[in-house]
Amino acid sequence: MTAVSGTSEKVTRRAVQLEANFERIAYLGMRMSGIVLLVLAVGHMMIQHVLNSSTNLTIQFVAEQWRSWGWKSYDMLLLIFAFSHGINGLRNVLSDYIHNDKIMKGINVFLAVFLVVTILWAGFAIARFDPAAIQ
Amino acid sequence: MSSLMLTLRESMRYRGRSGHWSWLAHRISGLAILGFLVIHVWDTANAFFYPEVYQWSLAVFKHPFFGLGEIGIMAAVLYHAFNGIRITLLDFKPEWWKYQQKSATIVWVLFFVIFIPIALLMFSNIISHCSELAAEGASCWTIPRLSDFLQ
Repeated sequence: MTAVSGTSEKVTRRAVQLEANFERIAYLGMRMSGIVLLVLAVGHMMIQHVLNSSTNLTIQFVAEQWRSWGWKSYDMLLLIFAFSHGINGLRNVLSDYIHNDKIMKGINVFLAVFLVVTILWAGFAIARFDPAAIQ
Repeated sequence: MSSLMLTLRESMRYRGRSGHWSWLAHRISGLAILGFLVIHVWDTANAFFYPEVYQWSLAVFKHPFFGLGEIGIMAAVLYHAFNGIRITLLDFKPEWWKYQQKSATIVWVLFFVIFIPIALLMFSNIISHCSELAAEGASCWTIPRLSDFLQ
């Protein structure tokens, strides 16, 4: 990590040692997952909502895609990255406006549980989806 | 409640010039995407758990209201993605802070150049879907009923 000072003309960098606490990891995680999502989420929007269209989407089309483990993995990764990025983003926004530690702690616990339950529920659905069961 | 109104009003107030608008747009688009994502993920999971309910929801999402919402989500994802790159680059490259305003403008231009043709395409999909249904004597404005999909 570098600390930065100086005017916009001259930037001085010096190395600083930061402890690897949760907030710092979450901060870096938002940047890293953001880069991953640039490919996964924008790719998903282009493939499913531009090249294909919701106006002719059917469960048979979904079954056709989820016949391949490639698509299943893509959607699984998208689920994990997008949901955790989004939930952490919401946590950041809320912590900007809620200054009561007790309330914020309760919200954090709720969001963490919601994140895990959602990923397990939807991840289970993607993993176990059987295209043969769809006519 | 009054503190919420104060927060909303103060958030909207013009303070930090272009950077302030980028910050606000990033926040609103992020929240909008998350709101949509929660519905989208739990709905898509129904393809496995309750296929009939999923098929009903697919029919509901073909309604023009949802079609317009989908265009909105496309806008939110594209802006959030482009501005996210800008934030990440500036976070790791402090030397580029002198380009803050320029980079904010570049993001807006890039966003509009890519979003507008996509929005037009998506809008034309809604129109052709509605005219196809109209040709069959049906209407795209009818909201499908769940009971029609349950066997």
